[in-house]
Amino acid sequence: MPLFTFNFNPYIMKHFIWYAAFLAMLFTGDRLAGWLLQRETMASQFRYSQLYSGRAGADLLLVGNSRGLTFYAPYIEQATGQSTCNLSYNGLPMDVANVLIQDYLEHYPAPKTLLLDITMCDRANNELLAGFAMYAPFSPRLSGLIQDSLPKMWGGNQFSHLTRFNNEIFQRALFHRRKSDKDWLLDRVISPKLVVEVAQHQYPLEVHPQLVAQLQVAVQAAQAKGVAVQLVISPYFPGFAQHVSNLDALKTAVEQATGLPVHDYRQALSDPGDFGDFMHPNRAGSIHYIDLLRKDGLLP
Amino acid sequence: MIFNSLPFLIFASVFFLLYFQVRGRGRMWLILLAGYFFYGWWDWRFLSLIAFTTVMDFTLGLYIDRSENQTQRRAAVVVSIVMNLTFLGFFKYFNFFADSLATLVRSLGMEPSWTTLNIILPVGISFYTFQSLSYTVDVYRRKLPVERDFIKFAAFVSLFPQLMAGPIVRAYDLLPQMSEDKKFEWRRWNSGLGRVLWGFFKKVAIADSLAPFVDQIFAAPETFGSLHLLIGVVFYSFQIYCDFSGYSDIAIGLARMMGFRFPENFRTPYFSRSFSEFWTRWHISLSSWLRDYLYIPLGGNRQGVVKTYRNNMITMLLGGLWHGANWAFVFWGFLHGLYLILQRLVSPIWRSIVRVLRLPKFVDDGVCILAVYTLTLFAWIYFRAGSLGDASFKVANQVIMGILSGEQFSFGAIINKFQVLKGLLLIGILLTVEITNFRWNWNERQLWNPAWRMAAFAALLWLIAFFGTFGSNAFIYFQF
Repeated sequence: MPLFTFNFNPYIMKHFIWYAAFLAMLFTGDRLAGWLLQRETMASQFRYSQLYSGRAGADLLLVGNSRGLTFYAPYIEQATGQSTCNLSYNGLPMDVANVLIQDYLEHYPAPKTLLLDITMCDRANNELLAGFAMYAPFSPRLSGLIQDSLPKMWGGNQFSHLTRFNNEIFQRALFHRRKSDKDWLLDRVISPKLVVEVAQHQYPLEVHPQLVAQLQVAVQAAQAKGVAVQLVISPYFPGFAQHVSNLDALKTAVEQATGLPVHDYRQALSDPGDFGDFMHPNRAGSIHYIDLLRKDGLLP
Repeated sequence: MIFNSLPFLIFASVFFLLYFQVRGRGRMWLILLAGYFFYGWWDWRFLSLIAFTTVMDFTLGLYIDRSENQTQRRAAVVVSIVMNLTFLGFFKYFNFFADSLATLVRSLGMEPSWTTLNIILPVGISFYTFQSLSYTVDVYRRKLPVERDFIKFAAFVSLFPQLMAGPIVRAYDLLPQMSEDKKFEWRRWNSGLGRVLWGFFKKVAIADSLAPFVDQIFAAPETFGSLHLLIGVVFYSFQIYCDFSGYSDIAIGLARMMGFRFPENFRTPYFSRSFSEFWTRWHISLSSWLRDYLYIPLGGNRQGVVKTYRNNMITMLLGGLWHGANWAFVFWGFLHGLYLILQRLVSPIWRSIVRVLRLPKFVDDGVCILAVYTLTLFAWIYFRAGSLGDASFKVANQVIMGILSGEQFSFGAIINKFQVLKGLLLIGILLTVEITNFRWNWNERQLWNPAWRMAAFAALLWLIAFFGTFGSNAFIYFQF
């Protein structure tokens, strides 16, 4: 008996045709669904959808990680009379922030001020970067960064367009389909139990030279367009800042790389009621913080 | 090698291309080599362990069959049991018992001077050991004719779909199937493929999507509010169900594509109305193994109430220990043993209440399902914490106290709302499919109509692309 036999009778051929049709349907459906989701995403009022669909022009450009959400846009706009664009996101690392800032500067008139929280140089966040895949078709920079940092995922995104929408950023874009995201903020008051435990907690902040270099590039790009760049460390819960390691090292590294002063607000708020947790001021804390930024001339 | 990885996709493609081209002993050799390659991909050094178990149980099976002397037969089966359990005990429990003994000695004010070994747990040892052991025991009980073809027996032990994490397919179920000449059948192929895709959806889209939320709460329970913790525990119940039953679905589907019939391992366990029913619907191959080779030999429920309770408890404690070398797993087993005993006490009272109040069936069933699920959830907390080593009881208790405290019991206090919404959506999809499956039997239905099949397969693949997590996360039950 031969080891290999190939016997293509009509019955088998029928099944192969069905499977071929199935593959065609799979591919077409993936592309169609991808196109529909892309359309929905770009119509959203979410910050990055606005950025990549030409609706994000503003006087003040605000960028940070979750602590950058403290740049509470409704209050800034009310207090300063200036329009804002906040590109902050939970865990946003500086390499992604650099791409977003450069894309902004390329597509919009230069903002008056760029306000930037330097703790974005803490660590890379490829998981979050993957979430930006749905905006990659609109940004060669973003596409390049994903291709370099996550080559397998980038390949997967080319194979299936649906995978580009398999992330939290897409979910937020969908959530903000008809609802502005300008008031996005951690709005709660830290629990009394955590307040008591402050000495037991710490945050191991890391200083990554390559992320500091990305910040330097972003600052230079903004300065080249005549933008006033303000670098800050936003407030931490009273007594918690000393439990954040390497904060001074980061401040020094950033000042040396950019030649700009870093405005240090790490201990600027002393009321525990101003915080949602150890790392994030809540709405009340944000308003106090913004008042301080205005008083010091960092915001108009 | 794990199912949700690119190497497995390549392996399976090559395997199936060859599988239907070879017959007879050639196919047995192919199954054997494929099984060893599949296992060796993880760690080739432990292939010797499978090979040794195979040779020993095959030889002992022949000896038991040949011998007419009952004492010799019994001695041979005892050797098989001791050998298999020694391997299992050494690789899985040596450090556990050594550490527990050291703690005990320290508590008596002495300082133990031995050092523990850093023993790696061979993946799947709990599964193939039980599978191989069932062969010698069944030959001894004359339930199964002895297998004289060594290659066939070795292929039975190393059949790759169930090698790593079950189901534990008994020798009397599987060995006779090894002799069948399996021809390629589209119907069987499509049925198996449907099952494989559903398994992938459960694993990659549901279990792996729920995992980060669950990991977070068990890493630092003190930082989360009560609703957050409760959702995390509910998510874990579905994570472990989808992870393990997803693996079983893939294994059953792959076996079906090859022409084998594996027994079901899960039957919508969270719809159980009692704990005895739960254990006929959760990890069925293990619970039935423990029933047939432990609970019934201990006397089952035939020796009075007290001994029935004792047998229930012993079976569940050992079932807990089977899952892992940690007292938290034993405690999980203890809780289930306790539930089974309490059920025998409470059930008649509940039946009386139903009768007196004339409660409709849906209320009766609903209350029972909810009670069983809630108590199962409580036990899962200890089970999940069991993988955290020494801190397991502390973490489990923190989670329970956090939930019971009722602090921050609001959706607004949840940090990862989008993860929660995604998790709830996926659980909704799972429950919808499982509930409607009672009536419509989706995998059977797709066989009737190619258009239906195309739509179902495509929908599953789109859902996997849209919801899946593609980090090749290992299956939870690999660690057992």
